[in-house]
Amino acid sequence: MYDVVIIGAGPAGLSAAIACRESNLHVLVIDEFPKPGGRLLGQLHQEPTGEWWNGIEETKILMDKATTLNTEIKCGISAHHIEKTDHGYSVHTNEGVFESENLLIATGAAETAVPIPGWTLPGVMSIGAAQVMTNVHRVRVGNKGVVVGVNVLSAAIARELQLAGVELHSMALPASNPVTKNHANPRKVMEGLVRIAHLAPSAFIRFGSKFAKAEWVRNIAVSFYPKGGVKMWGMPIHIRKAIVQINGTEKVESVTMCDITADGEIVKGSEKIIEVDFVCIAGGLYPLAELASVIGCPFQYVEELGGHVPVHNEQMETPLEGLFVAGNITGIESAKVARAQGTLAGLSIVKQKLRDHKDINAKIQQAVANVQAVRDAASIQFHPGIDEGRKKIESAFEEYKIS
Amino acid sequence: MDKLIICRCEEVSLEDIENTANKYSCSARELKLRTRAGMGYCGGRTCRPAVDAVLEEVTGEKPGNDIPLKVQPPVRPVSLSVLGGKKR
Ligand SMILES: Cc1cc2nc3c(=O)[nH]c(=O)nc-3n(C[C@H](O)[C@H](O)[C@H](O)COP(=O)(O)OP(=O)(O)OC[C@H]3O[C@@H](n4cnc5c(N)ncnc54)[C@H](O)[C@@H]3O)c2cc1C
Ligand code: FES
Repeated sequence: MYDVVIIGAGPAGLSAAIACRESNLHVLVIDEFPKPGGRLLGQLHQEPTGEWWNGIEETKILMDKATTLNTEIKCGISAHHIEKTDHGYSVHTNEGVFESENLLIATGAAETAVPIPGWTLPGVMSIGAAQVMTNVHRVRVGNKGVVVGVNVLSAAIARELQLAGVELHSMALPASNPVTKNHANPRKVMEGLVRIAHLAPSAFIRFGSKFAKAEWVRNIAVSFYPKGGVKMWGMPIHIRKAIVQINGTEKVESVTMCDITADGEIVKGSEKIIEVDFVCIAGGLYPLAELASVIGCPFQYVEELGGHVPVHNEQMETPLEGLFVAGNITGIESAKVARAQGTLAGLSIVKQKLRDHKDINAKIQQAVANVQAVRDAASIQFHPGIDEGRKKIESAFEEYKIS
Repeated sequence: MDKLIICRCEEVSLEDIENTANKYSCSARELKLRTRAGMGYCGGRTCRPAVDAVLEEVTGEKPGNDIPLKVQPPVRPVSLSVLGGKKR
């Protein structure tokens, strides 16, 4: 019997494990990927300060701490079911069942697909898959590609592909359909672009200052968007062009690109064929909460957090006793926030276990404040209104407690 | 233009979902059960948000707080021997 089983060895799960081991809890961390680190492993970007965020280095720091504290971490193990027992939880995996008093689900986020005609051809991949192939497995994804979907994640990863020497023709929007609609609307996309303008300090400054935060400025920017796209790191970003079809018989051979109006309507007769051998689709992220759903944790739909999230409070507790969540499962935010949330969840688990632990409340308060401070300073923000989203989920927790 | 596939595992197209919705004017849940969209090998991890978006469009139902068509274990493909209690 473990004090806590942690599902997911990303920044949230690892930080939580460290906090629990510091109080000598009996901890097991499992992850289905062959290596620990979660999504950190693929990350490489420059902060506005000019400093580089290198996920492999960050993973190493966390793993060094965890190893010094003799943390049991098993990789290559998938949890496929969880059950409530009299003493806690049973975690069912492909390596047997693990019993634990407490459970932390830190399974991160999954990518939202962007279905456009031809997206099932070999050579089409999600932007996250391209990131993992390039930065984790060091495999060249193709010779020349195009990115479909313009958002904070795809811009950051497009840059990583460029740094690895992979040629990208451009980034453009997906053709509009019931699934892609927001990602295919230039006005909506522009709102998002304003939030990433600061990401690339030098090359991007002119771009950023062009699109101020005021809505009327954005409207003008959308209406008069340059035909050749706006260049970021030498690569054109198009928000007035859409990929309407991916072509090929056995694999990707080309894409068909069209001009679109400021509202995303296709301009007839503007089709152009662009030869590429791979396509990255980027529809954003959603919390991967399947295990919390299986165990019967209540959910709340909060758009600002990326979709359905398990109900939880500021201390990362869910309404189910002994069940905790941390990281992107609680809402899509950057790795630094996930890491801070992990520490907080770990401390909450310590409190649950060692009920009379004296200074733990002070530590928890400090960790709550730290999560907020990291959030406020985050250079990558996936959704606007993250603070409102967080408030919604907390009040859902309060209501749940009362009812 | 080719059919636009929404659920890859079960090869369900946008057209299939729209036709089924029009023919039976059914709930999101019934639509999934009729077309099998979201019920394939990947357990819907690939297409769930896409299927939900199409369902919202065709049925006009906004996403509620409950996950549409509850997630069922196992959430990963597992062999029968593992389900039967053996390791691997
Ligand atoms: C493709 C992609 C790219 C991203 N790029 C960036 C970026 O550049 N910068 C940034 O700040 N943020 C980025 N993010 C956001 C990212 O989610 C956070 O940075 C951070 O990694 C979240 O940490 P986490 O610990 O919550 O989850 P993760 O880091 O995702 O870790 C979750 C872990 O849980 C494991 N897991 C999931 N389900 C199971 C299961 N059933 N059984 C066993 N193990 C399981 C996974 O294998 C994974 O290792 C990206 C996210 C994605 C999906
Ligand atoms: S893509 Fe629909 S179930 Fe896998």
